[in-house]
Amino acid sequence: MSIARPALAAIAALGTSLALACLAAPWILTLAGIDPTETDLLNRLAGPSAAHPLGTDDLGRDLLARLLDGGRVSIVVGLTAAVIAATIGSVLGVVAGYFGGRFDAVLMRFTDGVIALPLLAVLIVLAAIDLGKLGIPEEIARSPEAGLARIVVITAAFGWTTVARLVRAATLSLKTRDFVRAAIALGASPWRVMLVHILPNALSPILVATALALGEVIKFESVLSFLGLGIQPPTPSWGNMLTNAQELIWTAPHLALWPGLLILATVASCNILADALADRLSPRGGARPSS
Amino acid sequence: MIETLAVRAFALAAGLLAAAPAAAKDELTIGFTQYPATLHPIIDSMAAKSYVLGMTRRPFTAYDKDWVLRCMLCVDLPTVENGLARPVDRPDGTKGVAITLAIHPGATWGDGVPVSTQDVAFTIEVGRDDKSGVAAQEFYKRVERVEIHDAKRFTLHMEKLTYQYNDFGDFQLLPAHLERPVFAAGAEGYKQRTLFDAEPTRAGLHFGPYRIEQVVAGSHLVLAPNPTWYGDKPHFRKITIRAIENTAALEANLLSGSIDYIAGELGLTLDQALAFEKRHGARFDIVYKPGLVYEHIDLNLDNPLLKDRRVRQALLMALDREALNRQLFEGKQPVAASFVNPLDRVAATDTPRYGFEPARAQALLDEAGFRPGPDGIRVNAAGQRLSLELGTTAGNRTRESVQQVLQNQWKRVGVEVRIKNDPARVFFGEITRKRAFPAMAMYAWISSPESGPRNQLHSKSIPTEANNFAGQNYPGFANAEIDGLIDRLEVELDFDRRKAIWTRVQAIYATELPVLPLYFRAESFIVPKWLAGIEPTGHLHYSSLRVEHWKPR
Amino acid sequence: MLGYLVRRLIQAIAVLAAMSLVVYVLLGLMPGDPVDLMASGDPKMTPADMQRLRALHGVDRPILERYASWATAALQGDLGWSRSFRRPVLEIMAPRLANTLLLMGSALAVALGIGLPLGIWAAARRGRLADQAINLACFAGAATPTFWLALLLMMVFAVHLGWLPAGSLPPDGAGPLEVLRHMALPVATLALVEAGIYARHMRAAMIDALAQDYVRTARAKGASELRILLVHALRNAALPVTTVAALGFGGLFSGALVTETMFAWPGMGKLIYDSILTSDFNMALVTLLFATLVTLLANLLADLGYAALDPRIALDGSDGRDG
Repeated sequence: MSIARPALAAIAALGTSLALACLAAPWILTLAGIDPTETDLLNRLAGPSAAHPLGTDDLGRDLLARLLDGGRVSIVVGLTAAVIAATIGSVLGVVAGYFGGRFDAVLMRFTDGVIALPLLAVLIVLAAIDLGKLGIPEEIARSPEAGLARIVVITAAFGWTTVARLVRAATLSLKTRDFVRAAIALGASPWRVMLVHILPNALSPILVATALALGEVIKFESVLSFLGLGIQPPTPSWGNMLTNAQELIWTAPHLALWPGLLILATVASCNILADALADRLSPRGGARPSS
Repeated sequence: MIETLAVRAFALAAGLLAAAPAAAKDELTIGFTQYPATLHPIIDSMAAKSYVLGMTRRPFTAYDKDWVLRCMLCVDLPTVENGLARPVDRPDGTKGVAITLAIHPGATWGDGVPVSTQDVAFTIEVGRDDKSGVAAQEFYKRVERVEIHDAKRFTLHMEKLTYQYNDFGDFQLLPAHLERPVFAAGAEGYKQRTLFDAEPTRAGLHFGPYRIEQVVAGSHLVLAPNPTWYGDKPHFRKITIRAIENTAALEANLLSGSIDYIAGELGLTLDQALAFEKRHGARFDIVYKPGLVYEHIDLNLDNPLLKDRRVRQALLMALDREALNRQLFEGKQPVAASFVNPLDRVAATDTPRYGFEPARAQALLDEAGFRPGPDGIRVNAAGQRLSLELGTTAGNRTRESVQQVLQNQWKRVGVEVRIKNDPARVFFGEITRKRAFPAMAMYAWISSPESGPRNQLHSKSIPTEANNFAGQNYPGFANAEIDGLIDRLEVELDFDRRKAIWTRVQAIYATELPVLPLYFRAESFIVPKWLAGIEPTGHLHYSSLRVEHWKPR
Repeated sequence: MLGYLVRRLIQAIAVLAAMSLVVYVLLGLMPGDPVDLMASGDPKMTPADMQRLRALHGVDRPILERYASWATAALQGDLGWSRSFRRPVLEIMAPRLANTLLLMGSALAVALGIGLPLGIWAAARRGRLADQAINLACFAGAATPTFWLALLLMMVFAVHLGWLPAGSLPPDGAGPLEVLRHMALPVATLALVEAGIYARHMRAAMIDALAQDYVRTARAKGASELRILLVHALRNAALPVTTVAALGFGGLFSGALVTETMFAWPGMGKLIYDSILTSDFNMALVTLLFATLVTLLANLLADLGYAALDPRIALDGSDGRDG
C-alpha cells in the first residue's frame, strides 16, 4: 500500500529517524559535549548560531540538545503507556464483550467509574505518596527511571477505557458472525476464539485509538510535570517544554513550535505505522476494496 | 440566486465578526487572574475579594503607597501622642490600650443608613464569635470592651498594647441594619445565610465609591458608582472586573480590547510583563512595584549537612543573585538581604550582605571538611556527599526557572542539588507544614509593612507533632536571643528603640542564615496610556482603595 | 427491554454509591486542607485560628464519619452547601452546567459534523490526495495541545483581526449573535481537536466495512458507489463511531478544563477542578457524581445503539441470538 502515499511515507521515515536520534540522545550529547541542563543567563533566548543551531531557551540552554533529550522521555513514555493501555483495554474489552452477562456488567460499570474518576484528586494523592516509604530503596525511588515508570503506570492506568469500550463493541458484533459461531461450534476454547477470531478482526479500531492516544500521552505527561508527578526539572520533555513555553508564546513562539512540530511528526508517523499494521494484520485488510 | 445567497451569507458573517465598539472612556474593564468565591468582608481571605472590596468599602486604616499608615474610614489616626490612644495598666501588670476612633461623618451605607457605632458593635460581636467563620480572629479577641460615645464615636479597650496598636486595616464594618437579623438567627449558619453572598447586589452592604451591580459567578462583576459615597466622586460610571486565570489569555484579552487594564495585584508574571513592555510599550505603561512578597529558601536545620553555619553561608555565596535579578528580571526584583524589605522603614542598612563569591564559598566548604570527590561533588571525611534536595511548588514556572539556575551555580562549587517539586497543595499542606523537606524548600511569604517575625522565627513557632504543627518556623530555627528580641519588639512603642531591635534581628538572621534570602517579588501593572491615577502599593492594602482617583488622562 | 433497563438502573445506583465513597475518601486523602490554603495567603492567621476553622468546617472529623453524615443528608435530598461559595451546591452548579452544555454541546455537534463526513470521504478516497490531507489534519489535531490552539486562535481572530472576542461569557442581555461571537473561539478550539479523532475512527471503520463480503456482493450487483458507501458500509461502520461519540457525550458534562480556563468560560470543568483543589467536598462530590451519571447514561445509550444498529447484538450482552 505504501507506494501510493509518498508524502505520508516520508513523514513516517522522518519520525523513525527522529525517534532513533532521541533514543540515542544521551550518547550524542556526551559525544558533542553539550549539557542540555547547563544554564547561561547571559545568553537567554538567543537566535540560531553555530554553537546553538536552534538557539537557546529562556534560561540560555541549547534548544536542540533539549529537544533531543526531551524526545527520549516523550517517546519512551508515549509509546509504552499507549501500548500498555491498549493491551489492558483490549483484554478487558474482549472478555467483557465475549462472556457478557454479569461479567460484562461489572467490568463495564468499573470502566464507567474509571472514566468519571476525578483524575486530579488521584494525582494529588499520588504526589503525596513517598515511594521511599513503600519499601522501595531511596536511590531507586528518586532516580529518573522511577519517575518515568511512574508516569507510564499512571497514564496507562487511566488511559485504557476508550480501547476497552471499542473492543467490547467490536466483540459484541463479531461474536454473532458466522465464522465465530462456526469456531465455537467446532469446539474452540473461548480464549482461542477471542485471540484468534475476534481480536484480529477488532484490530483496526484498537490501532487507531492507540496511535491517537500517543499524542494524548505526550501532552498528558506535561500535566503530570505540572503537578510534580512527571519529569522533575531540569530534565526536559516535549510536554514540559511546550507547557513552559506558554507564557513566552508571544515573544518566543519557537520555543513552543519546535516541540509541537516534533510531537506532530511522532504522532503522524505512529498513525501511519498503525494504518500499515492494520492493513497487514487484519484478516481482510489486505484486500483493497476499490482501485 | 447563488450570488444573492453568497452576499447574504457574507453580510451575516460580517455582522457576526464585527468588532465590538471601542469602550467609551467612562467605563473601565479590569482583568485579573482570580474570581472571588465569596464577598463577605471578614469571612475567608482571598486576594480577589480584597481587591473588589477595596472599591466598595473601606477599612478604618490602611497603609498608602509610601507604606505610611493613614485613616480611611476614621477621621484622625489615633496615636499615643495625640491622646486618642491611651496606654492602660491592667490589673495583671500587663499593658492594655484604649483607642478612640470616629467614623467619617459622611459615611453612609448604599441604602442611605448612616455607618454608625451600631455597626462597630455588631462587627466585633461577629468577629469574636467562634462559630461565625472569621479567618483571622486575633484582633477581635483582643477587644475587651467597646465603649460607644455617640453615633459616630467609640473607644476600643484592647487587652494588649503592641507597636501596631493603631493598625485597623482588617477592621471592616458589617451593616448591622441588614446583617444583625441574619446573625441573630444563629451564628452557626451565619456564614451561609449572610447577604454578602446570598444577595451580593444589595445596596446597603457597601459604603465605598462603588457598589456591586451584577455578579456573574466565575466570570465577572459589574460595579456602579455608589450615590451615598462621602469621598471624591469617582470618574467611571461602570467598572467591570473580569477573572481570566490564564495569564497568556489575559494578555490576549488586553490586546484585543476585551479588557482595558491588568491589575498588578493579580496579574501577569514578571517575565510576561517585561516581554509585553518591549512589544507594546507604546500603548501601555508598565509599572513595576517591588512588594512584600519575600522569595527565599528555607534550610532544614535538622539536616546534618546544614547544621554547619559555614555550609549555609557558602551556599548563599555560591549564588549570583544579582545576575539572576538582572538577567531574568531586568533588575526589577531587588535581592533580599533578609526578610525585611528595603522599602520598609525598619529595614537595617548594615545587615551583613553576601555577594557572589564562589572562591570564598569554596574555601568555606573546604574549611567545613567538604572536599571535591571524583565526580566533582564534595564529600567529607565521614563519606557524606554534599548532596541536597531542593523542593518548590511544581508548575510555578518562575520558581522552577530560578531553581534550575541555582542548581547550576551550586554545581560549580561542588554542591549537588536534586530537584523534587510537588503541587502547591502537597508542598504547603504536607512538606513545609510538617517540615518534611530533607534540605531546602523554596517559596514566598507575603506580609504587611513592619510585620513582626514571631510566626517565622520564634522557637515556639517550630511546627512539631506536639503542637499540632502550628507555626511557620519551618527551618527549625531556635535562637534564644531572637526569641527575646521578638518578645521585646512587639511591645516597644518607641520607634527608634524598636528600630534598634529590628536591626539586631536582621543581623542575626543574615549571619545565622536559617533561610537563604533570594529576592522580593515585584508586581507588574499594565496600564493603558489613557488611564491615570493608579498607584501600586506593593502590600496587602491594594491600589483599588484609591479607585475614586482613577480617571482618563 | 424493560428488564434490561431496570437492571442497568440498579447498576447505575450501585456505581454512584461506590463512586461517592471513593471520591469522598480520595478527597480526604489529599494532603493539606482548605484551612492550610487560607493560612498561606493570610499572614494574620494564627494557629488558634486554624484549629477553630478546622472544627468549624468539620475538616477535623474522621473522613468516614463525614461521609456518613453527607450521605444521610443526600439521601433525604439535601446535597449540601459549597464550602468555598457558601451557597447551596445546586445553586452554584446550575449556571455552570448551562454554560458547559452550550459550549460542549455545540463543540460535539460541530466535531461530529466535520469529523464523520471527512472520515467517510477519506475512506472512499483511500490513499489519494484527499485522504492524505485529511489524515495529516487529523494528526495535527491530535498532536496540538489545547492551550496552544486556544492561544493561536485568540492571537489571530481576537488580537490581529479583531473579529471575535477572546472568549469569555457574553454580557447580560446579549443577543444570539453576540452569544455566538463569544462562543466561536472556544467551540472552534474544542471541535478542531475532536473532529480529527472522529474522522480517524470513521475512516478506519469504513475501510473495514468496505472490505466485507456483502459490500462486494452489492458492488457485483451493480449498486452505485455512493449507495454502497452510505447505505451498506456506513451501517456496519457505525459501531466504533457510536462508541467514541458516546464517550464524547459522556464527557459533555465534565466540561473541558483547559478550554474553559483559557477562554474564561465558567463551566463544569473549572468548577470540578477548583472544588477539588480547594477541598470543597460537597461541591466536588455532587459535580463528579453528576458527571458519572452522564457517563453511565451515555454508555447505556451506546449499548442501546449497538443493538439498534446491529440487530444480531443482544441487549444484555449475553450470547447473541439469530438476527
